[in-house]
Amino acid sequence: MTARCVADVPVGTVATLDEPAVDPLRRRRLAELGLRCGAEVHILARTAGGGRVIALADDRVAVDLGTARALVVRVPADQDRVVS
Amino acid sequence: MSATDDRPVAARQQVPSCHSDAGGRQAVAGSPVVALAGAPNVGKSTLFNTLCRTRRDVGNWPGTTVEVGRGAWRVADGDARDVELVDLPGAYSLDPVSPDEELTRALLLDVAPQERPDAVVVVASAVHLTRCLYLVAQLRETSQRVVVAVTMADVAARRGLTVDAHALATALGVPVVMLDPRRRAGAEALAHAVSDVLVAQPPAPRPVPSGLPMDDSGLALADDRFGWVAAAVAAGTVRDRPAGRTRSDRIDRWVTAPFVGPLVFLATMWLVFQTTTRIAAPFQNALDHFFSGPVAQAARAGLGAVGLGHGWVADFVVDGLIAGVGLLLTFVPLMTLMFVLLALLEDSGYMARAAVVTDRTMRRIGLPGRAFLPLVVGFGCNVPAISATRVLPNARHRVLTALLVPFTSCSARLTVYILVASIFFPHNVGNVVFVMYVVSILLVVLVGLALRRTLWRSVGEEPLLLDLPPYQRPTARITAVVTWVRLRGFLRTAGGIIVAAVSVVWLMQAIPVQGNGSFADVPVRDSLYAATAGTVAPVFDPAGFGNWHATGALMVGFVAKEAVISSWAQTYATQHPGDLHHPGALGTAVKADFARSSHGHPAAAAWAFLVFLLAYTPCVATLAAQRREIGMRWTWFGIGVQLLVAWTLAVAVFQIGRLLG
Repeated sequence: MTARCVADVPVGTVATLDEPAVDPLRRRRLAELGLRCGAEVHILARTAGGGRVIALADDRVAVDLGTARALVVRVPADQDRVVS
Repeated sequence: MSATDDRPVAARQQVPSCHSDAGGRQAVAGSPVVALAGAPNVGKSTLFNTLCRTRRDVGNWPGTTVEVGRGAWRVADGDARDVELVDLPGAYSLDPVSPDEELTRALLLDVAPQERPDAVVVVASAVHLTRCLYLVAQLRETSQRVVVAVTMADVAARRGLTVDAHALATALGVPVVMLDPRRRAGAEALAHAVSDVLVAQPPAPRPVPSGLPMDDSGLALADDRFGWVAAAVAAGTVRDRPAGRTRSDRIDRWVTAPFVGPLVFLATMWLVFQTTTRIAAPFQNALDHFFSGPVAQAARAGLGAVGLGHGWVADFVVDGLIAGVGLLLTFVPLMTLMFVLLALLEDSGYMARAAVVTDRTMRRIGLPGRAFLPLVVGFGCNVPAISATRVLPNARHRVLTALLVPFTSCSARLTVYILVASIFFPHNVGNVVFVMYVVSILLVVLVGLALRRTLWRSVGEEPLLLDLPPYQRPTARITAVVTWVRLRGFLRTAGGIIVAAVSVVWLMQAIPVQGNGSFADVPVRDSLYAATAGTVAPVFDPAGFGNWHATGALMVGFVAKEAVISSWAQTYATQHPGDLHHPGALGTAVKADFARSSHGHPAAAAWAFLVFLLAYTPCVATLAAQRREIGMRWTWFGIGVQLLVAWTLAVAVFQIGRLLG
């Protein structure tokens, strides 16, 4: 397992969220949207502006580049279960 | 003046506004109060409209409801029992991070227990159950009566997810009802469930584990709630296949992509722009001719039949009142098209994607991505653009955008650009018009930056964190309801101000202040209108166009830019030039006047006039729309900013042009 930020992992990666590097208020809001420690996320797309669209089971959340950099994920060392 | 509303939440919720007028009947006094709560974009307002048979603004993107709506909902037939249904702004939890969420918390939790709703219906999307039920977890820690209404079960089913309402109800400890407000299904079951909980004892609060670490943000408690929700969702749902890529994902792969996404967005905006201007134009012209022709003639004939066919009464009715109403109604086709397109974009789910695509660009001037839409629409007409600011869920963003829209150069200003350019720069008309549009864009950016660094210092720093709803096919019923609600609101608010302004201009042109004319029978140069313009004209001396003819044209332009050329021609007692590229006698007269007032620098004065025309108040209809969307205080502020920017720029342009030229 390697820890990287969401902005640094390729589109298609399935990974597990770690503690985000944000203040507690934003951390709680991220958690309310499902982006909390232990959640499995699927990086679906890179957006205009450098952000990412993230899938959490059936939910889809768009985040900007700053948030994508703050979201830390643990990626399996064998890399990374890339889903087509 | 502050960019935020500092009043207490309880005071703010009392503010009447267009958003809160759903047009339905109210419950009788003493009826139980039931609140509709839930995460953003789960269909609360659609459900509210279905239950109360009202027409409240709805849309398929987070943040449609920004105020509280109230209506009567009949939950039982026998003894005709009403409840007062309260539609609350969307909130993921009772820990607010925005004013709208603050309002929801205030009404559900912060008020005294006896003032809280008798029951809360938490609307939860079957597609996003985990996210939606956190609010239930928090409410279950109180003794609040709760019913969970699960929507979007059809979308969930297509993804292989089935909700077992009975199992979910058992896990949550509250009744769960499946419904589809878009197709008006399940309302009866919800009414039964609410009737039952209203007569039942309040539930015992869910025990919160003791010994949780107490930090300021309550993250440990939040984790406990998430665990409780996850267990309930696991017990109450059945998945027949793992979550995978959906049709929406496949579309989003292109629609939000770095290069294609902006292209799709620009194409969409181009379509909106073209539709609202080109398709509406023939209808606008037809209405204009109808009011200035058959309606005016019929009115004169009617007044003639009672002996008032000639004289000031007939002139006032025809040229003041009927002209004012006619001007208002010519906006109806434009506004209808605009609102239909907005409703389609919102209901389809595209608006959330547009926000993602434009977020980075707009953030530089302190606005979220979806503010791009009203600004683009503003280049067609500022009036629907101001109304389109309601696509922005944040009140501060709405105010800032509504203040910037008037700097977008609407098509009505284009006719004046062409006329002035044809008079002063006949070989470069196209270039002049192009420069005016570039200046317009620069004004939006620069004024936006200036406001962001002053009154809106904290705006635009919020990160993008946006729930993307699945795409869906817009329904005709919802499109029609949303369009009608918005159009009705526009006509109600804008009607009075437009008719009043047109009537005032007529009155000023009818009152003689010199010469031999009488009331309503006076040459314009001898009227109060000319005298007022002459009094104001010296203000424009430093800009080189301090003559009463040009000032009078700008005064009329304050009412409607469409009337500038005809009234300008009227002040010289010439005809409206049929071909703007060949201004004829009007052009000769204007050129001579500008040469005099600019002391030999008419070209510089013409540029200054064009810049002033671009930057000052667009028209009374825009002001009426602003008043409706952001209130009178901000409308006055906007007028001040526009006049200050317009005058300063005009003076700068003339003085620099004079030195250069």
